[in-house]
Amino acid sequence: MLEVPRHPALTIMKLLWADKFACIAALFLVLIVVCAAIGPYFLEDAASKLNLRGRNAPPFDWSQGWLFMLGADSLGRSILARIAVAAQNTILIASCAVFASLVIGGALGLIAGYSSRRLGDTIMRLADVIMSFPSLLLAVIVLYMMEPSVLNLVLVLAITRIPVYLRTTRAEVLEIRERMFVQAAIVMGASRMRIIFGHMLPIVVPTLITIGTLDFAFVMLAESALSFLGIGIQPPDITWGLMVSQGKAYLHQAWWLSFWPGIAIILTTMSLNLLSGWLRIVLDPVQRWRLEMGGKNND
Amino acid sequence: MKSFIGRRAISSAVSLGGLIVLVFFLTRLTGDPTNLYLPLDAPMEARDNFRVLHGLNDPLIVQFGSYVYDVLHLDFGESIRKARPALEVVLEAFPWTLTLAVVTMGLVTLFAIIIGSLAAARVGGVFDRLSGIMSLIAASTPEFWVAIVGIFIFAVSLGWLPTSGTGTIWHWVLPITVLFIRPFGLILQVVRGSMISALSSPYVKTARAKGVRQRAIIFVHALRNGMLPVITVIGDQAAGMLNGAVVIETIFGFPGVGKLMIDSILQRDFSVVLASIMVTALAIFIMNLLIDLLYAVLDPRIRY
Amino acid sequence: MRNLFACMFGVAVSAMSAAPTFAASNDVTIVLSEDLDVMDPCMSSRSNIGRVILQNISETLTELDGSGGGLRPRLAQSWEAVDDLTWRFHLREGVKFTDGSSFDAEDVAYSLERATSPKLSCEIGAKYFGGIELTPKIIDAHTIDFTAKVGQPILPLLMSSLTIVPSGLSPDAFMRVPVGTGPYVFKSRAIGQNIVLTRNNDYWGEKPDVENATYIFRSDIAVRAAMVQTGEADIAPSISQEDANNSATDFSYPNSETLYLRLDNEIPPLNDRRVREALNLAIDRDAFRGTVLPKDVILASQLVPPTTMGWNPDVPVQPYDLMKAKALLAEAKADGVPVETELELVGRANMFPGSTETMEAILSMLQEAGFNASLRNFDVAEWVNMYTKPYAENRGPQLIEAQHDNAKGDPVFTMYWKYHSQGEQSTISDPTVDSLIEAATSATGEEREQLWKKVAAEVNDRILSDAVLFHMVGFSRVSERLDFKPTISTNSELQLAQIKIK
Repeated sequence: MLEVPRHPALTIMKLLWADKFACIAALFLVLIVVCAAIGPYFLEDAASKLNLRGRNAPPFDWSQGWLFMLGADSLGRSILARIAVAAQNTILIASCAVFASLVIGGALGLIAGYSSRRLGDTIMRLADVIMSFPSLLLAVIVLYMMEPSVLNLVLVLAITRIPVYLRTTRAEVLEIRERMFVQAAIVMGASRMRIIFGHMLPIVVPTLITIGTLDFAFVMLAESALSFLGIGIQPPDITWGLMVSQGKAYLHQAWWLSFWPGIAIILTTMSLNLLSGWLRIVLDPVQRWRLEMGGKNND
Repeated sequence: MKSFIGRRAISSAVSLGGLIVLVFFLTRLTGDPTNLYLPLDAPMEARDNFRVLHGLNDPLIVQFGSYVYDVLHLDFGESIRKARPALEVVLEAFPWTLTLAVVTMGLVTLFAIIIGSLAAARVGGVFDRLSGIMSLIAASTPEFWVAIVGIFIFAVSLGWLPTSGTGTIWHWVLPITVLFIRPFGLILQVVRGSMISALSSPYVKTARAKGVRQRAIIFVHALRNGMLPVITVIGDQAAGMLNGAVVIETIFGFPGVGKLMIDSILQRDFSVVLASIMVTALAIFIMNLLIDLLYAVLDPRIRY
Repeated sequence: MRNLFACMFGVAVSAMSAAPTFAASNDVTIVLSEDLDVMDPCMSSRSNIGRVILQNISETLTELDGSGGGLRPRLAQSWEAVDDLTWRFHLREGVKFTDGSSFDAEDVAYSLERATSPKLSCEIGAKYFGGIELTPKIIDAHTIDFTAKVGQPILPLLMSSLTIVPSGLSPDAFMRVPVGTGPYVFKSRAIGQNIVLTRNNDYWGEKPDVENATYIFRSDIAVRAAMVQTGEADIAPSISQEDANNSATDFSYPNSETLYLRLDNEIPPLNDRRVREALNLAIDRDAFRGTVLPKDVILASQLVPPTTMGWNPDVPVQPYDLMKAKALLAEAKADGVPVETELELVGRANMFPGSTETMEAILSMLQEAGFNASLRNFDVAEWVNMYTKPYAENRGPQLIEAQHDNAKGDPVFTMYWKYHSQGEQSTISDPTVDSLIEAATSATGEEREQLWKKVAAEVNDRILSDAVLFHMVGFSRVSERLDFKPTISTNSELQLAQIKIK
């Protein structure tokens, strides 16, 4: 496949444009990242200004101004402003936790699958221990001994999510190890590093990314459960998960309290997943032609 | 195979031991439960008396020693909260959780594999897009939200199902459905992803070239290889459920081990925390062993 | 392991076979928040245990009328003070326990001994009889004297919480099947699922309407409310304001809890009265009513509710005055009080519906008045260790969210613990307050009332020790087929005999 050399960013844009869904997803994620980056500076006041008389104001009531288009929460604060401000903590916690558990779990899984049996077994039993250690207990202990800060929350969530990446990677490595081309590479005297990075990672990474994007949702909701039990992020700090769990008491009268932050979680997960699906195709030499054809071929 | 299981049993026993040591000392770090159990206006002497009664005054290492001694004699201690043997309390709760987990994960596995494979067969097709969106919504929806809205719709407004509780088979419908949604969305995506890779692998192409029927290719040839990561994720989700579907158990009033564990942690009822972790950990270890055996069955090249 | 399989089999079979049971007209189903941990009458001061056992299975010598009628006889027909230290109780005759033995003075003496036994750590013993040395003396089968080391003018009131159990019961293990003299008898229990009581046909008193009562357990408030709506339950004793939206079935009642912020009077800047007053003035109490909290909550000036003897009407509810708060703060600052120190608001997670929102609102009000404050919620176990002595050495200035429950009608259950220098939750040590509390504890009649009023004036006005906020209300949902009105005592008991079927 011969390419006229172009600026790589341009190529990426073109490939993205070829998949309309991925394109919208990317735009949405850009919006979320912008919110996370600058939201707290512009909307902090609107997100924390109390108005007990206007509590649970319904959405789509334009008389209150655009800030209240998604309604007001149980203390009369703008839900839109709160979602924008909460994006920062939410994205920070979820991405750090997912990234950390993916990298650590993936690395340990590679080692477990490709090193001596003794070391591999030890790592796997360690994973068993983490897996059977209830995440909420870990959360209570860590957050009891330390402040419920963003960092500690990331620590708890990352530890509890390591086993799934570890076990997935190891399972794939066990299988790939036996494939013809890997055996051939070994016979031809390729170094371990080369086999791992050249042959195994390209096959393992797409699966890990699929799980990782879904884990984004999992982590956001787990964080919500922790807040609900009083051991996660605490008010006045906000995350989408906290907003969802605080809205629970009002599901009957004011569905919008937990609905909008819930939608934010769903849309973020969905965008990440669409984008990762696109990325998977871009990175796969066998599939890439679909996009280069301009997305017209949608079989 | 036998030696593998034997080896596994020994190493699992070691991990279980490690887990107990870890949990014992970590839970003790969360504080002395005396003030929690006694009324606020209990005098100091009642507090001291309580500490002596439950051995909370002894040095931690002495407490640990006597705990290990008791466990070796199959005595898992007494629940402070319930004034009953901790193991008895846990074994009452565990079957509920186990039943919920087994039934739900069985259904999840079945549906996720069928729908995920069909979606992977025509990537980018209408069915694929539709099932993709549905499963992503499913994977990122808060369980309690679905549970409460479900109760309002199906129990309160329509009156088709009981709101909560146990008793008849109808009582199981809502909790299992709600519990089904999230792992289903997650596993469906994993099945789809791993089937796409499997379908583009050389041996499937060979099978196609040989004229094997599409359905056979998907469900026999590709699925078999695509299953490895799927089983792993199923195991992870099942482990989560064995540790207790806390939200579901809480909302639907199921007396399962998840709620028991959380309550015991919040109440610092250490014996029950330890006993429930031992029971669930044992279940998870057994499950992981079965999964590893399943790897070898699905892929004969994998040997232990 | 066999045990486990048997259990699983049981679960499976019960799932298949049990048909839905529809309540017969004389049966009621009551949905509580948690299963009972233990079913021993000596633990019935815990609210859910009390709601099942107290006055249903186990009775007490005296009984406090929930609708404000004072102390009434129950198992004791009458009582009198023999001298300053001794009370005499004349017991009802012809009463039988549900295990067949008959009730006499021996059982009363034994019940007290068991409740205060160090081997059991019974809650009633620790809560009501801790630190009081009572010597029982059996005069005859139906007369008993109790002598205290120091005068106990409220002993008959204390007896309204001592559940009577038959003598001969194990003194060092909790009962699994509660035995009492009450109008109901324990029938069956499926742990985690239900408890069933049935009418005691040999009961000494009037025969109640309700025949069988089934207690079921749901932690989720919205589900409890929904269950009464669908007819799966008849009474849900505690639901939230948000769910109480049907005037035909939902009743609000004063639940005897008083919400307050316990200010740490030992730590600067909270050791300065001006700062404490500014803090009180900065909270717009009225804004909470009908918004975050139900509209029926009463603004409070002191910890005991107005129905309590010795409640002082002259202690003012702190008004909302932002200007004055800022002025006081500035004045304190000018005098070198470190008003910029960060105040720690300590919340208790899920203490009541709307708890977190209340604390968030208070935080925001304090910040508006110029306080530097932060908020953190804790789980009960951590919270209780911060709320109770010994306090941490290097703590900051804390404002602890707490609810105090005194439905007994006498401030003795409040003042010592909260305000005496030796009290377990006190942060003040003031000799005047100490001596007033000590004097009031052993005084009687009019003198007692006046002394308690003085204590209230001292701590809640002169010292202004805390930020007392509201007398709270609870909500119950009661099926329309029943005639039952929740009262202030619904927090601690639920007498089946008071339920009438329409």
